[in-house]
Amino acid sequence: MGPSPAVHRLAVSRSSVLTSAAIDVEFLDLIDAVQSVADGVLFGATYALLGIGFTLVFGVMHKINLSYAAASIGAAYASLLILAVIKAPPILVFLMAAAAGGVAGGLVYLIGFKFIPFANPLATLMSTVGLLLLIDEIIVHTTAGVPLNYPALYSDVIVRVGAFNLRGDLMFIFALCCVCMVALLLLLYRTRLGLATRAVSQQPTASELCGISITRVNVLTFVITGVVGGVAGAMTGAAIGILSPLLSLPLTVKGLIVTVVGGLGSIPGAIMAGLVVGGLENLFQFFRGVSERDLYIMLLLFVFLVFRPGGFFAMPAGRD
Amino acid sequence: MDFYLGLLQIIGVHTILGLSAYCVLLTGQVSLAQAGFFAIGAYVAGMLTVLAQWPVIPALGASAVVAGAIACAVGFPALRVKGLMLVVATIAFGEAVRLFFFNFTYQVQAGHLMLGPHGAEGFRQIRYFPEHGWTTLDVMLFIWAVVALVMAAIWWLDRSRAGAVLRAVGEDEFAAQSSGINITAVKVSAMTIGGVIAGIGGGIFAHYTTHIEHVQFGVVLATFAVAYPILGGLSSVFGTLLAVIFIQGFLIEGLRFMGDWRNLLFGALIVLAMNVRPRGLLDAGTVLALKRLIVSRKD
Repeated sequence: MGPSPAVHRLAVSRSSVLTSAAIDVEFLDLIDAVQSVADGVLFGATYALLGIGFTLVFGVMHKINLSYAAASIGAAYASLLILAVIKAPPILVFLMAAAAGGVAGGLVYLIGFKFIPFANPLATLMSTVGLLLLIDEIIVHTTAGVPLNYPALYSDVIVRVGAFNLRGDLMFIFALCCVCMVALLLLLYRTRLGLATRAVSQQPTASELCGISITRVNVLTFVITGVVGGVAGAMTGAAIGILSPLLSLPLTVKGLIVTVVGGLGSIPGAIMAGLVVGGLENLFQFFRGVSERDLYIMLLLFVFLVFRPGGFFAMPAGRD
Repeated sequence: MDFYLGLLQIIGVHTILGLSAYCVLLTGQVSLAQAGFFAIGAYVAGMLTVLAQWPVIPALGASAVVAGAIACAVGFPALRVKGLMLVVATIAFGEAVRLFFFNFTYQVQAGHLMLGPHGAEGFRQIRYFPEHGWTTLDVMLFIWAVVALVMAAIWWLDRSRAGAVLRAVGEDEFAAQSSGINITAVKVSAMTIGGVIAGIGGGIFAHYTTHIEHVQFGVVLATFAVAYPILGGLSSVFGTLLAVIFIQGFLIEGLRFMGDWRNLLFGALIVLAMNVRPRGLLDAGTVLALKRLIVSRKD
């Protein structure tokens, strides 16, 4: 004695409604996934800027500046001072962050690199770790450890593209980072300073013989990467909405990962890697949750180290 | 009194951690994976004594073997790269281990308690020492016996041919390779020794704190691990011990009276120490001077 035909039909129609709803949910999931990847790529521009900073310092000095991300966050904090004094528009705050970043870069060179023998990479590694801790603690000390709000531009603008929403503030950040990268590339490839920088990174001794002051190039590299870092710090604050000293360690790790995935010393590689890491990060977060997200980014890095140690645009084999 | 015994315990465990990084640094490689091996040792030893009811010494042996094996396995791909790439690779490995334990849950019902690691909450109730009637003094003496053993082993290694090979690779890779040294084998062995030592250290750490969680094994601990030997100098194992006493005893505990300002001074003093003594607190020159002093006293 089976179910009556009417009941059967009802069951069938119910199940078909269910499957079409499931398809809709899957479709919406796909849209959400693409949406979060798009947000991630836009935010990834800040990773790209940090990656460029690490890469430039490494290219010129063959040393790691581990205090870079902390100094960038510090510059963003310093820029809030101008908000405290006058009610400045956000764009002025961002400019202030860039300026503070330049000053911080110069100071990092003076304190962490200037007086330490060049042939001792371990000592500079350690001194920049000390600076990282010092900058973090200065921030904690002056703000009593309370996260501060950071202004954003165009946060009320939302551009609809088909089924997707593009956040205005993220797009502004992306655009500003792109401007920053173009300016940096022009500086490196179209000015005498850029020529000197590239010469020092290829052959320090030969460039010194040609009359380039290595110390001057080093200081200027630190100031320039500091300015870039200040912009990156301000953009991070604007995208997240708050600034906290807890940001500096994760940003350091992400910046280093971007540097390696993009290939050491390669600026196009760092840009590409920043956007890819930003996008993948959100993709993993969407599918696997926030607690597992970074695990996959680390595994991705290991895959790169094993199969493509030269990074995205692998250069001919050079120094490490 | 218990405060000072506790401080001695901390100094002992951190010395073991610093010595594990010392072995890898001798070959000129900066490894920030030591916190990862330390975490593996802590979880393995903790699970063996709590869940499998092993005594503590075999459990420490097992954690040394597991951490050493993983260090060896990680060494092969990671040591293909060097310099900044290795720093980043080892940071990534350490963070991956930490995030693994962040998501790792394996619990067993024991009476009214749930025992075993529990994801973000960590691993509580590693109570081997109190359950077996060890006092703080016993634990402290046990830790320092292990420290003395590890230091003696590395000191002996340093004076043997193997130590000379490690230092040769650290000083100049190409020269070492030209004189017939297999660099990869040397680096991977150094990494394995470092992993074994870190595993033992982690196992002890889990037992004296009785509660471990993933945040304890982050980048900060990894940085401390390499900071000790670099700050102390690579010319002698005693440099690492000196640096641990300087950081844990003086900078962290000794400056406690300064309150809030202590943390500020912490970073500043590390920067200052590196500017004044870039080759470490106990560098080759100082070691030589000390030796001369002792020898001339004997005459």
